[in-house]
Amino acid sequence: MSGDDELLAMGDRALASLARGEAEVVLADQRSELTRFAGNEIHQSVAERSRYIRVRLIDDRRTGVGEVRGHSDDAIARAFAAAEDSRRVTEGSDVSPLPAPTNGGNGPVAFSAATEAATPQDRAERVAIITEAAGAHGVQAYGALSTTTTTTAIVTSAGIRKAATSTQASFVSVARGGNDGAGYASRHSPDIDALDVGGLAAEVVDTCERNQGATVIGPGDYEVILSPYAVTDLLEHLTWTGFSALAVQEHRSFMHLGEQLMSEQITISDDAMTQEIFPFPFDAEGVSTQRVTMIDRGVCAAVVYDTPTALHDGVASTGHSLPQPNTWGPLARHVAMDAGDTPWQEMVGSVSRGLYITRFWYVRDVHPLRTVITGMTREGTFLIENGSIGRPVKDLRFTQSIVEALANVVQVSRERRLELGEGESGVLSPWLRIGRFSFTS
Amino acid sequence: MRHISERALDAASAAGATYADCRVITRTVQRIGVKNGVVASVELFEDEGIGIRVIAGGAWGFAGVDDLSPGSVEDTARYAVRIANASSRVNRTAVRLAPAPALVGEYRTTVVRDPFGVSLDDKVELLMRTDEAMSHLPQVRIRECSLEFVREQRHFASSEGAVLDQTIIESGGGLDATATSDDEVQTRSFPNSFGRHQVCAGWEAVEAFDLPGNAERIAEEAVALLTAAPCPAGTMTVILDATQAALQVHESCGHPTELDRVLGHEAAYAGTSFLTPDLLGSFRYGSEQVTMTADSTRAPGLGTFGWDDEGVPAQRSVLVDQGLFTGYLSSRETAAAIGQVSNGAMRADGWSRLPIIRMTNINLEPGTSSLEEMIATTAHGVYLETNRSWSIDDRRLNFQFGTQNGWEIVDGERTRLVRNPIYSGQTPEFWGSCDAVAGPAEWQMFGVVNCGKGQPSQAMHVGHGAAPCRFRNVRVEPAR
Repeated sequence: MSGDDELLAMGDRALASLARGEAEVVLADQRSELTRFAGNEIHQSVAERSRYIRVRLIDDRRTGVGEVRGHSDDAIARAFAAAEDSRRVTEGSDVSPLPAPTNGGNGPVAFSAATEAATPQDRAERVAIITEAAGAHGVQAYGALSTTTTTTAIVTSAGIRKAATSTQASFVSVARGGNDGAGYASRHSPDIDALDVGGLAAEVVDTCERNQGATVIGPGDYEVILSPYAVTDLLEHLTWTGFSALAVQEHRSFMHLGEQLMSEQITISDDAMTQEIFPFPFDAEGVSTQRVTMIDRGVCAAVVYDTPTALHDGVASTGHSLPQPNTWGPLARHVAMDAGDTPWQEMVGSVSRGLYITRFWYVRDVHPLRTVITGMTREGTFLIENGSIGRPVKDLRFTQSIVEALANVVQVSRERRLELGEGESGVLSPWLRIGRFSFTS
Repeated sequence: MRHISERALDAASAAGATYADCRVITRTVQRIGVKNGVVASVELFEDEGIGIRVIAGGAWGFAGVDDLSPGSVEDTARYAVRIANASSRVNRTAVRLAPAPALVGEYRTTVVRDPFGVSLDDKVELLMRTDEAMSHLPQVRIRECSLEFVREQRHFASSEGAVLDQTIIESGGGLDATATSDDEVQTRSFPNSFGRHQVCAGWEAVEAFDLPGNAERIAEEAVALLTAAPCPAGTMTVILDATQAALQVHESCGHPTELDRVLGHEAAYAGTSFLTPDLLGSFRYGSEQVTMTADSTRAPGLGTFGWDDEGVPAQRSVLVDQGLFTGYLSSRETAAAIGQVSNGAMRADGWSRLPIIRMTNINLEPGTSSLEEMIATTAHGVYLETNRSWSIDDRRLNFQFGTQNGWEIVDGERTRLVRNPIYSGQTPEFWGSCDAVAGPAEWQMFGVVNCGKGQPSQAMHVGHGAAPCRFRNVRVEPAR
């Protein structure tokens, strides 16, 4: 792997070849490995090493991008040539300038030497803990353990010069068996040694064993306890459809700043500096990422910005850019919901009749402006009766407005978990007790 | 390429692999986007690398690298064997492959005009004309159109002696018009949603889309949807346009016939399937109107090639024959598990990913009806166009789809435009209620460019031939 200094030096050399105008050079070096298992055996185990250079050129209201695999001198030259060729045809474009250097950007980075050094054998040994636990209970384990190390460097002609190396370890498991039962559990951390593999094994097997012989329950509105796995889906979809300044500027966001749309118990922030959510100090433009509170005690408080949307509104970028130029706008990628003060098991104890939802599946937007989504429950849907999680029920389809659900929150748990959403961003989610949630089939 | 693959296979064999194959891939992608009258992006991506797959100690190992120097390739081959050996210590069952001929050959997508030979200026000019045609309606706040071109050179070699070289070329494009009001946002797309329609063909395919010629109509439809009546609710007849029929085939036939899902290989992620092997040849999947095929020889679908990523030749298989479930999409390993041979559905998203079972061109074969006839013989129902929302459970039974627009049908006439339609059902009951499929004249090949599966995730380009089709007694309602 190339280190931070090595990539920065490479970026400096690349930038030195700039003939005119402005340039942004992004270099990345990633080593990613993943061991996958099914039926208590490893069926796929893979590793990849990939590097790329991405060059964005800006000159006289024209911009172009070239991205080439590799870090050789030839790769750098071809990336510049491709960007130059692209720039030629973009006359009249509404080009956003390169951002100026900002203070900060030296915050914490999610990194673990153990994750960086993890071997196929290390992963196989951890997988064996799950498969042996499943086998001991007569069920089958499925899942994947991944380890990733990424070095990213950004060097621009405007003076930005930043680099960071981060790691991520992710362990996801499903247990299946018995009378059509299944359970789900996951753990994520920058540090593979910090993954609670024993706890993961116990949770996934326990959920599977309790989720046997599920019976049909009719659709309708139910009070629910959503686990952090399910809450993560709600937060991620709000992020995609509403928390972006571009979505507000284009009138396609539910966010009406200053309006109370959710329960006072709901505060949602984006915090790339907290150690709890894979911290990373800068965005794809090299701008230091600021903490932004999007929902403050139920009130729409702020959205996240990149340079183009910030210029539009006459404010500063919050450091949430995706690679520029793009048509998607900025994105919050370190989302957290504030914890409440009730232990989640006490929340269950206060429900006389409702559903406990382990996780959602295949969640898709139905009407983004109204934050209506649909999806299925999966691997652990249980009836709550008289304050206890009881018999399992067959999976249900829900169709529900997220904003309405968060307006009907009764309690937020004291405990939170770091999850990875479908977009593979870290999300810090509590358990939620919601008074009414709509299941449609 | 051959000297690279020989080095990889030799190194893997020397390290203890009992089987090895590798793919050396060079991929170039050009993307051009115009948004609201300006060229929003012009990007060129060049990618190159090798993926090496081995069996050692009875287990699989895979490693990929972007450095094709001799030392890097040999190290990567040895690392793939090391991975396999680590897995073999956990496993009790050795991998077994169904036999496949070791072939040598070349394949190239048939194109009239190489899209990489068309100037950037011409491509930008086409998009600017498209944008201009959408620009006259102030309610259309977001106008987007884009083109994408892909050229992928794949060199496959195996320790069994296969040596296969392929050049695949894709061309795609599309437009979206998004209209907004104080309380509504509506998007219409052409020729398909999710940004573009894409096929294995050259520039001629993009010209045939006629983006500029359809842009104004699509923009007008987006504006009309702002004030259209909500879709009626109830159990009624549904007619799907060909694009939505294609996605229905993708989700409810393509995925559940993937044999790796059936065998549990995707149980922790993409899910399993209701089409278990005991149902093969006897289960009534749909009505007699419904015949579905997997056909990687059917150009210009995005699943068209010479050989799959295990070196198995492109072919046509019948998955559903007049309603009867008859076949799977398979690989050499999964086919062996049910006593068959592979029908060539192993595909990988580039050199860095392990081949897994993917759709090729999964087609709803044409029937004998027509859209006009279907509408004329419908007392009450809706005609639904262009996907907006899609969701289905992990066994591929319980689905809910939304479309960008609908037309209410009353007494055999297409009447008013309706907005926010969604329809839902259970896969076998839904296809069992299909009573008409339009004929070859209305049958068209569509591309899906965002089919996600696998860990690490892979986005595959797959094809679907479909025609308008009609279903009875379907639950329909407006999105709230």
